[in-house]
Amino acid sequence: MGGLVLLYRLMLRPLVRRPGRALVILFAVALGDAAVVAIDLAGDAAAGSFHSSIETLAGKNDFEVTAAGGVPEELAARLARLPYPLTVSPRIESHATVAATGETVPLIGVDMIAEANAADPSTLAGAASNEGFRHLNGPDALWVTPGLANRAGEKLDLLINDRRLEFTVRGFVPEAARVSGDAVVMDIAAAQMATGEAGRVDRILIRTPDGGIRTSGGADFETWQKRLREALPAGVMVNAQGSETFANRRMLAAFRWNLRILSYIALVVGAFLIYNAVSVSVVRRRAEIGVMRALGASRGAVLTAFLLEAGAFGALGSAAALPLGRLLAVGAVKMLSTTVNALYVSSRPGVMTMTAESVALAFAVGIGVALVSALAPAREASLVPPTEAMARGRREFEVRVQRGRDAVIALALAGLGAAAAQAPEIEGKPVMGYLSALLFVAAAALWMPMVVSAVMGAGAGTLRRMLGVEALLAARSLAGSLRRTAVLVGALATAVAMMTSVGIMVGSFRQTVLNWMESELPADLYLRPAGAASADQHPTIAPYVAGRIAKVPGVEHVSLFRAYEIEYQGLPATLAGADPDLQRSQQSVTFLSGRPANAILRQLSAGDNAIVSEPFANKHRVRAGDALTLPLGERRVTFRVLDVFYDYGHEAGFILLDRRTLLKYLPDAAPSNMAVYLAPGADLEQTRAAIRKAVPNSNLLLFSNGEIRREGIRVFDQTFAITYALEAISILVAIGGIIGALISIVMDRRREFGVLRFLGATGAQIRNLILVEAGLIGLLANMVGLALGYVLSLVLVYVINKQSFGWTIQFHWPVAVLVASLSVVYVATVLAGLYPARMAVRLDPIEVVHEE
Amino acid sequence: MSRMTIETGTLPPKPPPPSSAAAPLLSFDAVEKDYSNEGERVRALDGVSLDIGSGEFVALVGRSGCGKSTLLHLAGALDFPTAGHVRLAGTATDTLNEAGLTRLRREMVGFVFQSFQLLNTLSVVENVEVPLLLAGETHPRPHAMERLAEVGLAELAHRMTHQLSGGQMQRVAIARALVHGPRVLLADEPTGNLDTATGNAILQLLRRMCDEHGVTVLMATHSAEAAALANRVVRMRDGRVVEAG
Repeated sequence: MGGLVLLYRLMLRPLVRRPGRALVILFAVALGDAAVVAIDLAGDAAAGSFHSSIETLAGKNDFEVTAAGGVPEELAARLARLPYPLTVSPRIESHATVAATGETVPLIGVDMIAEANAADPSTLAGAASNEGFRHLNGPDALWVTPGLANRAGEKLDLLINDRRLEFTVRGFVPEAARVSGDAVVMDIAAAQMATGEAGRVDRILIRTPDGGIRTSGGADFETWQKRLREALPAGVMVNAQGSETFANRRMLAAFRWNLRILSYIALVVGAFLIYNAVSVSVVRRRAEIGVMRALGASRGAVLTAFLLEAGAFGALGSAAALPLGRLLAVGAVKMLSTTVNALYVSSRPGVMTMTAESVALAFAVGIGVALVSALAPAREASLVPPTEAMARGRREFEVRVQRGRDAVIALALAGLGAAAAQAPEIEGKPVMGYLSALLFVAAAALWMPMVVSAVMGAGAGTLRRMLGVEALLAARSLAGSLRRTAVLVGALATAVAMMTSVGIMVGSFRQTVLNWMESELPADLYLRPAGAASADQHPTIAPYVAGRIAKVPGVEHVSLFRAYEIEYQGLPATLAGADPDLQRSQQSVTFLSGRPANAILRQLSAGDNAIVSEPFANKHRVRAGDALTLPLGERRVTFRVLDVFYDYGHEAGFILLDRRTLLKYLPDAAPSNMAVYLAPGADLEQTRAAIRKAVPNSNLLLFSNGEIRREGIRVFDQTFAITYALEAISILVAIGGIIGALISIVMDRRREFGVLRFLGATGAQIRNLILVEAGLIGLLANMVGLALGYVLSLVLVYVINKQSFGWTIQFHWPVAVLVASLSVVYVATVLAGLYPARMAVRLDPIEVVHEE
Repeated sequence: MSRMTIETGTLPPKPPPPSSAAAPLLSFDAVEKDYSNEGERVRALDGVSLDIGSGEFVALVGRSGCGKSTLLHLAGALDFPTAGHVRLAGTATDTLNEAGLTRLRREMVGFVFQSFQLLNTLSVVENVEVPLLLAGETHPRPHAMERLAEVGLAELAHRMTHQLSGGQMQRVAIARALVHGPRVLLADEPTGNLDTATGNAILQLLRRMCDEHGVTVLMATHSAEAAALANRVVRMRDGRVVEAG
C-alpha cells in the first residue's frame, strides 16, 4: 500500500503537473497501436467477406466436389445413387453485376425444390412464398437479399458474363440464412442457363450420415473420401467442405502477414520515443532517485516503479488506440478490399467486429512496447547509487554513451542482418527477411551516436559560416546531448527509412510493371465481359463474338484467351489457354531463362506442355523440365513445364497452355478475354464503334492499349495506397515525438537560452537556434534514413517480396517520389520546431538564469 | 606570458574617462520596479536614483532580496523599470523596444554570474566567441584568444568547460563578458561560488580590467573584501539606496 502511495506521489502526480512527457508517450503508443488494431480489424473484414460470398447458402456439409472447368452434372446423380444416405447438393457459384447500380453480387444456383423443403433454417426454407413456389423453376425467377429489391414481382437486370438479362424477383433470402452483403439465388437449371454452364455445376456439396465426421478423427473422414473418390473420375477432386475458402485464406495469409508487419512500423518508431522520454525522465530525476535509495528504496523498487509507470502509459495508450484504430480501420478496409479483389479473390468488405482478441491484441502490444522501451532506462535508474542523492545528473546522460562499443555491436548486428537475408522463408513467410530488416534498424540505431557526433563535429564550423552562430550552437547542442539526439534522430530515421524502403520497393515494382505491360500488351484493343473484374472471376464471352469481330473492317486479328480458377497443391491458381496463332503476342513473353520466346512457344503448341508464371513457380517450387499433373475435366493430365515467364498480373500464378491443348481437355470454346489487332492505318475509335455495332447484344468492355495500361497502374496504385497510409502514420508518430522532444529540450536548456539573451541574443536568434536544431535533426534523419532505407529496400525487393509473393522486381530509384517525400519530412521536422521555438523565445531570461 | 599579452592586447578603443562634470555612463532616475508574485505586487526597487561614471568600479552591497540583482538587470537593459528612467550612455531604456534593448545590451554590456553560466556544449574559446558571433562578427577567434590570454587561459582555449576549475570557469566568463568591448561590466556575486583565494584572484582580475580598459564595473556582492576593492560602495536595503558612496 505504502509503495502504491509513493508510486502515485513520486511517479504519477508529477505527470499531471508536467504533462508533456506523458502526452508524447501516450501519443506514440496510441497512434502506433491504433495502426496495428486498424490493420487487424480491416484485414479480418476484407478477408472474411469472400468467405461469405462463396459460402452463401452452403449450409453445413462434409465434402465438396470440384473440378477444373466445372463438375459434369451427371456426377451429382451418380453420387446420389451410391448406396449411402448422402445429401448431395449441386451448386452454381458465380457472380452477377446489378445493371442499375454496378454492384457485383454472388450468384448462387441451387436445387430450389430441395432447398425449400430442407429443415435447415440457414437454407432457403421459407424463402419461397406460396406465390413464389409457383415460379420455382422459372428461367427468370430470382430470390434476392432485401437490399436488392423492395417487393416480389420487381424486375432486376443483371449482367452475367457478356449478357444483360432481365429477371423477376420471386422472393427474398430469409434472414436466417445470414447472408453477408447482397446476393442473388436462382434455381440451378436457370443459373446454368444464365451462366452458360449447361451440363456443369461449380461445386457439389455432400453431407454424410455422420454430421460430426470432420471432428471424429481421420479414419472416418478418409474412408468417406475414398468411397467418394472411387465413385468419381480421376480429374474430379473431393475435399473437405471449405477447402477452397481455406486455400484462398492460405494465399491471403502472406499478404495479410506482410501488412500486419508493416502496421507495426509506427510502434517501432514509437518505441524509440518512449525510450527517449523515459531516459530523459530518469536523468532529470537522478537526484530524486538517489534520495529514495538513500531513504531505503531497493533497486528492484526503483526498477518496478519506472516499469509500472511505463505499463500505465501502455495501458492508457492502448485504451485510446481502440477507438482510434476502429476509425482508421474504416478507411483501411476500403483500400484492402480493392487489393484483395484486384490480386486475390472476389471480395466485399465484411462487418468489422471489435472482438475480445482485438482488444487483447491492442493491450498486449501497447503495454508490451511501452515496457520493452522503458526497460533499459528503468534499469539505469535502478543502478543510481544513494550517494548521487544530491548530484546533478545531466552530465551522466551524456557520458554514458559509449560510441566505440556501440559501433562494434552495430557492425555485428549488420553482419547478422546480412546473414539473415540469405536464409530461406519459413512456412512461406519471410521471417528471416524481417529479422534481417530489424537487425539493420538496430544496427543503424547503435551507429547513430557515432554518426551524429561525426557529422556535427565536422560540420559545426561550416554550419556556423553558413547559418551563423545559431547553427554552431544547435550543432554543438545536438552533439552535446548525444544520447537524446541519437534516439530522436533514430526514431525519425527509422520512419524515414521505412518510408524510403517501401517507396523504393513500390517505385521499383511500379516501374517493373510498366516495363512488363509495355512488352506484354501488344494488341490495340482488349475485350472482357462487363461487370466488376476480380482476380478469381473469369466470366466468358459467347463463342460467336470472336468470329463477328474478326470480320469487322479494320480488324486484322483476334486472339482468344480462356482462364479457369483451379486449386493446385492446396493453393488457388489460374489455368489459362492462350491463342497459339498470334506471333506478336508470343514474342512479347519474357522468360526467366532468357531463352527466346518463339522457340518456347513453338514447343508449347506441340503437345501437353505448359509454361508457368514466376509467382506460381516460386510458390510451388516448379522449375523448367518439371512435370505438372492437373485434374482437367474427368482426367488427370501431366504437362511438361517448358519455362517460367515473368508475370505481375496475378499473385496466385498462372499455368499457361496452348488454347488448343486446353480445349482438348476442357472443350468450352467461350473465351474470357480477347485481344484485337487492328490493320495498319485503321482508326482505333472507328473500329471500336464498329465492334460494338457488330455484337449489339454482347455486354463487353473494350479497352484501348493505353486505357488498359492506365487501368493496370490505377489498380497498382490503389493496391499500395495502404502502405503509404501506414508510412504516414509512422512519420506522424515520429514528428509528434520530435515536437515533444524539442519541448523537452527547451525546458532542459532554458538556462542556456537565458544566458544567451544576457549575452545579446535576440528573440529571433533563439527561435532560429531551435529551428536550426530541428532542421539538423531532420537532415540527419533524412541522411541516415535514406542510407538505411536503401539497405532495407534491398531486403524488401530481393528477400521479403520474393519469398512472400514470388515476383522478380527490377531495382529502380523513384527519384521524384523520394525527393518529394524526404522534403516533406524535412519541412515537417522544421515546422515541428515552431512551437518549442516560441516557448524558448518567451522564456524570461532573468527568471531562468536565476532559478538555478 | 599572460601579462605580456595584456599589455599588448588590443581592446576596442574606449572613450577617455569622463570628468566629474560629464554625463554619467549609467544613471537611475527615481526608478521603481514591481513584480507580480502569485497575483501579489512586490516592489523590488523603490525610488532608486544613482549615477555611475565611466570607468568607475562600484560595489552594490546589501542583504539578500534588497534589490541588488534587480538593479543589475535594469542596468544591463534586461528589463524595463515600472517607473522612472534608467539611462545607459545617455539612452533611456524605457524608450526602446525589445530589439533596441537587445542591441544596447549587445553593444554596451558584459555580464559575469555567480554560477559562471558557461555553455557546456562549447569549448572555452567558443564560449568566449559567443557575444561576437551573436553580434554578427564572422572572424571572432583572434579577439577571443586575446581576451583569453588576458585572463591567463590561452593555453586552455580548446578544452571543454567541464574540464576547468571553478576559478578558471569564472575567468572564462570574464573574458566572455569583455570580448565585445562593453562599456559596462555587471557582475552578480562573482566570487559567491569560489573559495577565498580564488575569489580574491577573480576580484583582482576585475579590478585590473576596470583600470586597464576603463570599463565601468557594477558588482553586486555580500563580501566585504570584494566591496573594499571598489572605488565606491552603494548600500541598499528594501529596494532603496541607503548610501550612494
